[in-house]
Amino acid sequence: MTGRTGTPMASPAREPLRPIRLFGVFFRIGALNELQYRANFAIQVFQSVIALATGLAVIGLVFSQTTHLNDWTRPELLAVMGVHILMGGLIQTFIQPNMVRLMADVREGTLDFVLTKPEDSQVLISIREVKIWQAIDVVIGFVVLGVGIAQLQTSIGPVQALGFALALLLGASMIYCFWLILTTGAFWIVRMDEIHELFDGIYQSGRWPVTIYPGWLRVSLTYLVPIAFAVTVPAEAITSRLTVETIAIAAIFAVILLLVTRWWWRFGLRHYSGASA
Amino acid sequence: MPQPAIHVRDLRKTFRVPVREAGLRAAFKSLVRRESREVKAVDDVSFDLEPGEVVGFLGPNGAGKTTTLKMLSGLLYPTSGEATVLGHVPSRREPGFLRQITMVMGNRNQLQWDLPALDSFDLIRAIYRLPADQFRQTRDEFIELLELGDLVNKPVRNLSLGERMKVETVGALLHRPQVLFLDEPTIGLDVTMQKRIRSFVAEYNRRLGATVLLTSHYMADVQALCRRVVVIHHGRILFDGALSVLAARFNATKTIGVVLRDGTVDLSAYGEVMATDDDRVTLRVARADAPEVTTRLLRDLPVADLTIEDPPIEDVIEHVFAGAAEDQRAEAEAEAEATAATARSS
Amino acid sequence: MTAPPRPAVGPVRGYLDYYLTSMRIAIATQFQYRVANYFYMIGMVAEPVIYLVVWSTIARQQGGEVGGITPGQFAAYYIVWTLVRNMNIIFTPYGWEERIRTGELSGMLLRPMHPIHADLGFFAGWKFVVIVLWLPIAAVLSLLFQPDLQPRLIDVVVFAFAIWGAYLIRSVNYWILGMVTFWTTRVGPIFQLVFTAELLLSGRLVPLSLMPDWAQRLADVLPFKWTFGFPIEALVGHLPESELIGGLAMQALWIAIGAIGVRVVWRFAVRHYGAVGG
Repeated sequence: MTGRTGTPMASPAREPLRPIRLFGVFFRIGALNELQYRANFAIQVFQSVIALATGLAVIGLVFSQTTHLNDWTRPELLAVMGVHILMGGLIQTFIQPNMVRLMADVREGTLDFVLTKPEDSQVLISIREVKIWQAIDVVIGFVVLGVGIAQLQTSIGPVQALGFALALLLGASMIYCFWLILTTGAFWIVRMDEIHELFDGIYQSGRWPVTIYPGWLRVSLTYLVPIAFAVTVPAEAITSRLTVETIAIAAIFAVILLLVTRWWWRFGLRHYSGASA
Repeated sequence: MPQPAIHVRDLRKTFRVPVREAGLRAAFKSLVRRESREVKAVDDVSFDLEPGEVVGFLGPNGAGKTTTLKMLSGLLYPTSGEATVLGHVPSRREPGFLRQITMVMGNRNQLQWDLPALDSFDLIRAIYRLPADQFRQTRDEFIELLELGDLVNKPVRNLSLGERMKVETVGALLHRPQVLFLDEPTIGLDVTMQKRIRSFVAEYNRRLGATVLLTSHYMADVQALCRRVVVIHHGRILFDGALSVLAARFNATKTIGVVLRDGTVDLSAYGEVMATDDDRVTLRVARADAPEVTTRLLRDLPVADLTIEDPPIEDVIEHVFAGAAEDQRAEAEAEAEATAATARSS
Repeated sequence: MTAPPRPAVGPVRGYLDYYLTSMRIAIATQFQYRVANYFYMIGMVAEPVIYLVVWSTIARQQGGEVGGITPGQFAAYYIVWTLVRNMNIIFTPYGWEERIRTGELSGMLLRPMHPIHADLGFFAGWKFVVIVLWLPIAAVLSLLFQPDLQPRLIDVVVFAFAIWGAYLIRSVNYWILGMVTFWTTRVGPIFQLVFTAELLLSGRLVPLSLMPDWAQRLADVLPFKWTFGFPIEALVGHLPESELIGGLAMQALWIAIGAIGVRVVWRFAVRHYGAVGG
């Protein structure tokens, strides 16, 4: 089958790594675009530093009144904060911009430009936007995490590091799924802009280990909005609290979510394409 | 002798604009030293408007029209010169002054988006502290004049662009201002709506004796409403007088439209060929030659249809500007010549 | 030429009429957006609930209270917080950029009335919609977190005044802050610094009694405490009468300072706008 220009089109079966290559392309373009705006860099650094200072002030305040929160000590809480900032940076750099763009496309009818491309639509709408300056938070997150671990005076073995990386990957995937499931709802309910504020507010709960929340809240923050898997579980990994059960549940839940998201996206697309005349 | 409603003398407005050339070198330079130059948006402009006059303010984009209007409504402060409107100095922004004027800028939305226009009218009543019965009377009068009917009960966001402009116009005039500044009031509207707005403004002027200063790109606005026009270009007034005089003075040509019964003939021998669409040829000839050319055309060719028109007034204005540009260039050349001459002689 | 029209009524009745009309319009408009309003209010609840859980956890760990505050009292503090937070919402300083850019400011300048009245009136009307929408949220939160709330009559009365005082303080003072936009577009960092100071020194983060002493003294001389911590404490804190009345007086003082500031800075801002055209 050839395209309009007569060149043969690549079929997905022949290029399994295509999504990754595509991601590289979009990343380069997005980064080049943003790098022009050096003012944005300065502003982002300023904002992140202020947010960091505030977070540290809060931890300072908490630990002026106590020595531990449940069984988490101060360095461990720093580690949690580090993961929170880091994951937040990943969300703001890679996930949220794409969801915002998708919402806008659905609202303004420009989604058709994506759907007519020969690539898988879910892949396209997930990787085309990159807010490179938000990655500053990823750096800051790692720094805070590092400081927290250093203060723990326990060494990080390869097991923990691996567990951490895996937990981070699973957590990020689940947040992605959560966002896409919600944003797909835009096919039915066109006005969804307030979802941001809602998510940003709920995400703040990840600043603290979810074990401190009362039962019903903890469950919601695990399975309804996967904050626990995004922040607490990786933090548990790096502070040697992670059990095999937890990581197994995380893996299973992640796979289920990915499948559900995929099905839900295609379902929404069918509705969208059928509805538009 | 009664005071002019609007009095402008040697009004000037200059802006400082940062100047930056292209290129990396210039970009670095601009980091260290900000260069700017002065732009004369309005350059020693003078005119008077008598109460009740409707005057058209013509000029290309950037000519200084909107800047002048903004100075007369108090939004901008003059760099020098004087301006009084109804005896007030606009830049003082006295409440008594603001109650008597209105400024309508083509795309402005002052009404509440989500509510019926009637609610916004009520808010306007409260802002201007209008007596309740006079307000109601004015409101109903305007609604009838513009044939708004039930539109005022629908949320403004549900109205079409034309309908929205109508209710916005009503909103702008509810407080019965004596001076109207209309900046492109019919921009973006279809022909019917333009006519509606125009006749409304004319009626308002007739009933209240209001003074109207109106800018527009549409000559139809100016021709329908204004007997006098002020032409401005590069911040300077090029012409201030009756519209008919403008046409007569600068109108050196006539446009002849010819439709031949069969085939097309090259008509360039008769005059300047402006356009050829399908079987209709448009010729431009000197005004004095028009009768003679017409006779020759009718005699020589199988003419099916022939029209003789004044050129669109846009062309007249073009002429005025072209003339002004010519003058400016001549001036500049003369100046350069003079400096060269003195250089040579000293 | 017809004589210039005189306003039909004097200034007092005129302003009253304007505010009532403006509030009515705000209510009608915001009621249409009640779903969006609800989304926003529910999202806002996340912040105090998180603080509440953290501090209650610490309290339970320490044997039932921290800094003299029990979990029940924290619950009361943070649930009342949600109402006070909503009452605090005013025209954002970030909004000035759009106002200037879209020409909305020109429209406001052509009116024979100071533009701040438009903001004050509109947001005040909005508050009534917010209060009604808030009641079910408060009920649910109370069910979930069991607040320890037993206000006296004087607490309720002072609270009713204090929340409007908070609204006015924030309205006028952030109007002044917003006007910085007339002179520069790089306002983000400035605003952020102020908002962060407010977060830490107003009682939004924690009851001010848990902050270090130097911070509490600083909070006393800044306006932030009187927009957040004071109204909440007025209702939940069983403050002595002298502090209640004194707090209202401080609110009045900050409103007066803000009002004078608005007058002064606005004059400069309009002059600057008139000179450079925005």
